[in-house]
Amino acid sequence: MVTKKQAYNISAGELAALGKEKIPKELVSNTHLIYSSPATLAFNSPGAQGYGVKRAGLSIPGSVMLLVSPACCGRNTTILTEYEEYRNRFFFLTLDETDIVTGRHLRKIPQAVQEVYDCLEIKPSVVMICITCVDALLGTDMERVCKKAEDRVPVPVLPCYMYALTREGRKPPMVHVRQSIYSLLKRENVRQDMVNLLGNFDHLDDDCELYPILRSLGIRKINEISRCKDFGEYMEMGNANFNIVLNPEARYAAADLQKRLGLPSIELTRVFQIDKIRKQYSLFGGALGVSIDDSAYYEETLKHIEEFKSKYKTLTFSVGEGCNANAFELSLALLQYGFSVAEIFANPGETDFVYLRKIASLSPDTRIYSNLEPTMIYYDSFDSEVDIVVGKDAGYYYPRAAKVEWSKDIQPFGYAGLRHFFAECEKALGGKEKE
Amino acid sequence: MKGLWKFLSPFAPDQSGSTAVFCELDGLIIIIDAGGCAGNICGFDEPRWFEKRSAIFSAGLRDMDAILGRDDRLISKIKDVSRQIEGKFVALIGTPVPAVIGTDYKALKRMIEVETGIPALALDTDGVHYYDVGCEKAWLALFRSFTENTYGMEPGHYGVIGATPFDVPKEGLHFGGPGIYHCYGMGSGVDEIKSAGSVIKNLVVAPSGLKAARYLARRFGTPYEVGYPLDQIEGFDGFMDHMRAILSADMDVKKILIVHQQVLAHSLREELRKHTKAMIQLASWFEMDKELREPWDIPLLEEDQWIRLAEEGEYDVIIGDQHLSQAIPGYQGEFIALNHFAISGKPLGFVI
Repeated sequence: MVTKKQAYNISAGELAALGKEKIPKELVSNTHLIYSSPATLAFNSPGAQGYGVKRAGLSIPGSVMLLVSPACCGRNTTILTEYEEYRNRFFFLTLDETDIVTGRHLRKIPQAVQEVYDCLEIKPSVVMICITCVDALLGTDMERVCKKAEDRVPVPVLPCYMYALTREGRKPPMVHVRQSIYSLLKRENVRQDMVNLLGNFDHLDDDCELYPILRSLGIRKINEISRCKDFGEYMEMGNANFNIVLNPEARYAAADLQKRLGLPSIELTRVFQIDKIRKQYSLFGGALGVSIDDSAYYEETLKHIEEFKSKYKTLTFSVGEGCNANAFELSLALLQYGFSVAEIFANPGETDFVYLRKIASLSPDTRIYSNLEPTMIYYDSFDSEVDIVVGKDAGYYYPRAAKVEWSKDIQPFGYAGLRHFFAECEKALGGKEKE
Repeated sequence: MKGLWKFLSPFAPDQSGSTAVFCELDGLIIIIDAGGCAGNICGFDEPRWFEKRSAIFSAGLRDMDAILGRDDRLISKIKDVSRQIEGKFVALIGTPVPAVIGTDYKALKRMIEVETGIPALALDTDGVHYYDVGCEKAWLALFRSFTENTYGMEPGHYGVIGATPFDVPKEGLHFGGPGIYHCYGMGSGVDEIKSAGSVIKNLVVAPSGLKAARYLARRFGTPYEVGYPLDQIEGFDGFMDHMRAILSADMDVKKILIVHQQVLAHSLREELRKHTKAMIQLASWFEMDKELREPWDIPLLEEDQWIRLAEEGEYDVIIGDQHLSQAIPGYQGEFIALNHFAISGKPLGFVI
């Protein structure tokens, strides 16, 4: 129930009772205007922060990007070009009013690609052409344009689609870009002892147990695109035995690799419930026909959690979606560890109801808010007794609370991810125990 | 090649300019986009957005909304918001998507006014032009729509037109003399816009404010003056010390180029002319008004043109945003950084 000047929210109990078929429209983003607050910037604006299409599109080592769009689409790239790793990697072909109506800019792209290639002292391995909403509406066949551009330069030219308009479609931009960056791979000499970790644009934590677990299974080479030193090493990924999909947005890319190269894949989900981590490794081993011994990692992590629990007995969390976790799954994990979760800032999708139903049984009064809903302009955390917030978005609502952003580029996963999470919480709380 | 930018990133677009004008006026600002433009506008071009809550919304358009032209859905969403959040007006800000599908802004404006009972403004910005074009449209729309007829002047009251974070780093621009200064859009609200006809003079600090100032001059007979209070710019004293030093040290400075928004650049030229007889040219990526333009001033359109101008123009000193210097490694003279938020996203100021 919303009265004037109050942000819309609903309890976990009420939402679970309504079910995934009757999600209130306030929690369904395409039914209302989108409130643009700093809380939403990291995930609601492609390319604004973190890995959007632009950064993701430059994942192939040695690649450069030509952004073909009205000037406005490239505006925030000014920030990226200040980072050393992106210097001399972004180029712009800006469209004028006639271009955006007639599509005449498409004829200029091959020449622009050539000029970009010629001006670079160190030649690129790939030229990515990134197009935006304008070309989505014009129905541009960018594959064809890229082929034409390839006649002018001796390197591959790939399309990359920053179509914000299709964000809730079958193939949203972040799904598409994952397919693009693996689309050059070829399968020549399959190596049984090599796997690819797909889905992330930066690598897992160095101490993640997934690495030694894979090595214990005889895997000698574990590829992640961000760890590829050069284009040759990137191309080697095509020879992997199989792919491990770590982000659901990479399913399409994995399916494409299966179809094109016969490269199979298996999916692992990032979860923060320790029993689910254990179960997942067990199922993973089962799928590979081996037994995975993760007991040492499990025990160590359990000990870590118990120590944290004994120090911070009754913490209350608020969890946002602007973090390296599913806000509902992380909230459920925290409730299972014995903490309280006062609020979750996230739009629930159908698949989140698996977690929501359990949250409702453990903590029916947990309030669910949508970051994107217009009445969030009235959200006020003044009376709230939250001890710690997780996520950039939740951090915005609680400027003075202990904060764990949990949104670094390097990705948490498995037991190591869970340990790091509680270590970050401890750091944010400053070691101050709660009775 | 026309349109190709190899060294510089795009500057602030018109949709950001319009939003900046409306930001503090307690309206419901609706960016007609899919989400990316609103993120760019708020996250990069509007520093106030991080400091105070503004009712800025994205229409959240999806492909079928654009293809089928589902304006009724947009109107319905706006109607819902207007019931939940009080706004003094509704401002629709265009982006490339409505430009491509040929949105009828006038019809949208009328429908919103009928459905919500709130006055609406609709600006056909398209993301192709720069911030100044968007600001200009917004100023003009505001004064045309909201300024009320008046029956006399308020002695000692001045209007300041053209101030947005692109050209003015913070509220409280001072002009030296006594009086009450109403800096529209930065520190004052719609009420000041309503009574804009009663000020004794308008001070225009950016070219984007000129059309609105002329409109007010025609309608109310309000005179206007164009100029930028240079002493309000961060690092100005240090810059002048530096310039006096190089101009008096027999360094034979014959040619100076100032690249900025035209009003500020014009004031700076006037100031420098007190100290040198060197030829001082202005160049600008943004609108250049005939009133301030000298015959040798140059409108900039393309990166190639900028590189040629800087590297072949034989300038002893170039004053402009630091970001521009990265395109001209072949320039042999002294480059003095005068940052411009609309170019680099860095606050206005000299970096000596």
